[in-house]
Amino acid sequence: MRSNWLNLSVVWFPTMLHDSTADCRALLIQLARLGDLVQSLPAIEALQAGHQKTSFDVLCAAPLAAVLSGARNIGRVIPWDGAQWRSWADQWADNPRDILRAVQTYLASLGESAYDQLYPLNQHSRSHLLTQLFATDRTRTEHEGHSAVYMRPWAEYLRQIAQDRGDNRVHLADAWCGMSGVKPQGQAPRCSPPAVALPGDLAPIGERPGLWIGLVTGAGEADRCIAPSTWGQWIRAVLSYADEAQVVLVGSGHERETGQAILQSLPTLLQGRVWDATGRTNVGQLMQLLHRCRWVIGADTGPLHLGTLMGCQALGFYFSRARVHETGPYGEGHWVYQHATQAQPESWPIQESVALMCEGRRQPALGWTLWRNRMDHWGTMFEDALGQQADGDSRAAVWRRLTPSLCESVAA
Amino acid sequence: MSIFHDNLNRLARRDQPLAEAVKASVGGVLAVESARSGVPSARRSGRWVHSAYDPLREAETWAQTQASACREGETVVVAGVGLLYHVEALRKQLSSDIVVAVVISDLDEFHDVLVARSLDAWSDHILWLTGTPVHIAETLSRTGRPVRCLSYTPAAQADSSFHRAFEEALRRGIASQAGGQLTIALVGPIYGGSLPIARYVKRALETLGHKVQWIDHSVHASSYEVMGALKDVRNRQMMQGRLAEVLSQWTVASLAESPPDLVLSLAQAPLTLPVLEHLRKKKFLTAMWFVENYRHLTYWQQMAPGYEYWFVFQQGACLDAVRQAGARQVSFLPMAADPELHRPLELSPEERTMYGADVSFVGAGYANRRHLFPALLGHPWTFKIWGNEWEGAEDLRSVVQRNGARIDTDTCMKVFNATTLNLNLHSTTGAGLDPLADFVNPRTVELAACGAFQLVDHRSQLPDFFTEQEMISFRDFGNVPGLVEQWLGDAAARQAIAAAARTRVLNAHTYVHRMRDLLAQIGLSQPDRVGAVLRGDRQKETLLTRCAGDAPLVGLLKAFPAGQRVELKDVAAHIRRKGPTATLKREELMLLMLDEYRSETRDLL
Repeated sequence: MRSNWLNLSVVWFPTMLHDSTADCRALLIQLARLGDLVQSLPAIEALQAGHQKTSFDVLCAAPLAAVLSGARNIGRVIPWDGAQWRSWADQWADNPRDILRAVQTYLASLGESAYDQLYPLNQHSRSHLLTQLFATDRTRTEHEGHSAVYMRPWAEYLRQIAQDRGDNRVHLADAWCGMSGVKPQGQAPRCSPPAVALPGDLAPIGERPGLWIGLVTGAGEADRCIAPSTWGQWIRAVLSYADEAQVVLVGSGHERETGQAILQSLPTLLQGRVWDATGRTNVGQLMQLLHRCRWVIGADTGPLHLGTLMGCQALGFYFSRARVHETGPYGEGHWVYQHATQAQPESWPIQESVALMCEGRRQPALGWTLWRNRMDHWGTMFEDALGQQADGDSRAAVWRRLTPSLCESVAA
Repeated sequence: MSIFHDNLNRLARRDQPLAEAVKASVGGVLAVESARSGVPSARRSGRWVHSAYDPLREAETWAQTQASACREGETVVVAGVGLLYHVEALRKQLSSDIVVAVVISDLDEFHDVLVARSLDAWSDHILWLTGTPVHIAETLSRTGRPVRCLSYTPAAQADSSFHRAFEEALRRGIASQAGGQLTIALVGPIYGGSLPIARYVKRALETLGHKVQWIDHSVHASSYEVMGALKDVRNRQMMQGRLAEVLSQWTVASLAESPPDLVLSLAQAPLTLPVLEHLRKKKFLTAMWFVENYRHLTYWQQMAPGYEYWFVFQQGACLDAVRQAGARQVSFLPMAADPELHRPLELSPEERTMYGADVSFVGAGYANRRHLFPALLGHPWTFKIWGNEWEGAEDLRSVVQRNGARIDTDTCMKVFNATTLNLNLHSTTGAGLDPLADFVNPRTVELAACGAFQLVDHRSQLPDFFTEQEMISFRDFGNVPGLVEQWLGDAAARQAIAAAARTRVLNAHTYVHRMRDLLAQIGLSQPDRVGAVLRGDRQKETLLTRCAGDAPLVGLLKAFPAGQRVELKDVAAHIRRKGPTATLKREELMLLMLDEYRSETRDLL
């Protein structure tokens, strides 16, 4: 069998050396995409605050490990190489014994495998299997107890709102705090970007003063993408409105064509103020870019979350299945235009969002509602920025219903 | 000492008989000339077999392309000798676990190489194969190793018939040894002549022990037919096209439920080119058996690049045309019979009266039949025509049965069995016999399988199917009345010929034979995928041997019945059956995790 996993560059991000004197070792498992990993940080920080003698490791998808490089007090970041597992699965039939041995070697290479406490934030099979793989017999039993009290009620709640939406006001990041058995910290996490170099032509971004705006060109799913022509209009509007504005197009390799199409839709005179970084950055470089921007705007929640982590103010266009209350940019002072229905928008709040960004002017837009978030001890919550809808803050009731023990301890 | 003698000595150390045979040969096949780069190059029959500029670089490029597909544990067989630059380059690029074998079709050519080039140490790691194609194929089959065939065309084309015979023998050898169980998704048409063939194929594959997921689109035939009632041609075509697209997606959704080893489509299966390309990206192996006359039904021109394998029942120009349209691999696979259905029947006297006649024809009213059949009227023997599309054939009205209604397969079999002399005239749109008589229709084989006597218009392929003692054919329709009279009067000879034809079908021309050949062909070019399964590499016993010493895996594999193919998904399902509260071993958790990643292929739509 041709085994190539040893050639894999497994990158470790030890922001803090593993504390061998720690009383307890815990592992938080987050295998989902970029946005979910960033949204796990409030839970991680709350856990760290609540369990100061515990060393917390995080297991995440290998390509995203850099996201946690600047996070505080994480013991180890364990990069999980899904591509390698896929390859092993394909080759299993050729030589089951060697594949199983390669898997065993891989798991051994990840370091000590027994944790005292496990926090699987995704409720899917892989997450549960990882929990089993990284648990001891004792912690497996304890995990069952923890799961019954915290995880399951919140997991069921999340499943329910995913199905019927309703008037939920608990942000996903805060729900993950609840699942982990801790209350939110009341402040948004901040990270410093990894010390990585940008491609030479992108290095000047953010160096001179100006209104630097990171524009997220794509989205995870096709029905959540904004057409290049719409982005072209938005860029023309903002560059006309603010002379000091500079726009940085960000996106993965899949968005290179979108980036090109946006650029081509702009007058030549404006193209000098637009920087196309689509498909040219890894996660660490994207963090570096966003760190240099004042604003991040887009429909893709992942980069929006990453932008807020890097200190950007976020402005999101939420439509299709995206909902501000569950997945809006975490923290305080971020804005979201939420489309009134799940249908593809026919018009976009272009002038309105530009006025908001450049002058702080709040304007209604037909077919859209405008939301702004604030933080308190229940986490973050988006409120109607135009005062058109009654505030339905139901978070306290939800917390009391799902995890009364946590609410009692706060009261005490 | 000359290069030739050095080479012979080197060869003799490993294969004395071959060295002696080469010594005894005379050479003179290759004309060796110096290439621009300074090394020897060569022509054969005036054609360059290596580059006239830089043979080494050319060989390097060829070897690079081929090497990426080769897998450890395989025997890679190269057709085409030339000056062996390509073999040397390939040997150097492959790991030592891969055996490189060269088919020597002409010892004189090999003699020329040994004169022209010094064989260095690399040649000690080549398996030289000589003898008849069958002998070489048997030698390879006996090794039990997966075999991958490569062709260095510039050198191989001069002996193409030898190499074709070798591949054929190898395929037969592999087919006869095949014991593994494949999972095959069989995609049938919405309606039409290939629909019953899809059913025969299904039965044949199951008879061979494979698991068939039949994606049966005939259940949508009534919807398709309703759309056919639309008067506006554009609307009708658009709606039927959209339905075909939906069914194409439906096929993908069905495949996602349980990914098969092979997706086998029959002609007219509603799979669109974009869907086939999507399946290819997702690493599905697809094959099409195009059981239609490629001259009449021409949509293969658009679909050719979509399937990994094409099987057609016409040879020569058809194979070339499909290849030129973009098909990667095209093979000949003729029609066959299903002895479960196409068989001698015990008929009651009433049935013999109803379905019988001295002469019968079953089939649609194509132009040539309308034109020729009136010559069969007014004779002392009875004549009946069964089948549809005879509207307007006024002179034949008296012999067309059931007012030209379509007849089902059961009725057809009764007619075949009750008739003394079945007439089999291949269709064509012209007035006479098919001028391009290059395939044998299913009726020929089906009649033979029934033990029914037939007179068939001659086909170029017919001698490959039946001898003159097994089948009577005519080249001029004017001879038919005479032939009818001759054979009606000789019952014993008729029965002997029909019995011989039936025996031939049972021995060589059933759908089981065809499916065995089809799978062997795919297995030969996919030794690490389909080939591995066919060889039984995925059977419990083989896996147990390979997992010896690994107690957890052995424990899991032992739970399966003997002879069963065991895949990762089966092992995972076995583990999951322990229940959600069971405490699983670490290895079991790892296998479940692997299965989670395996099942990602479901993400197809």
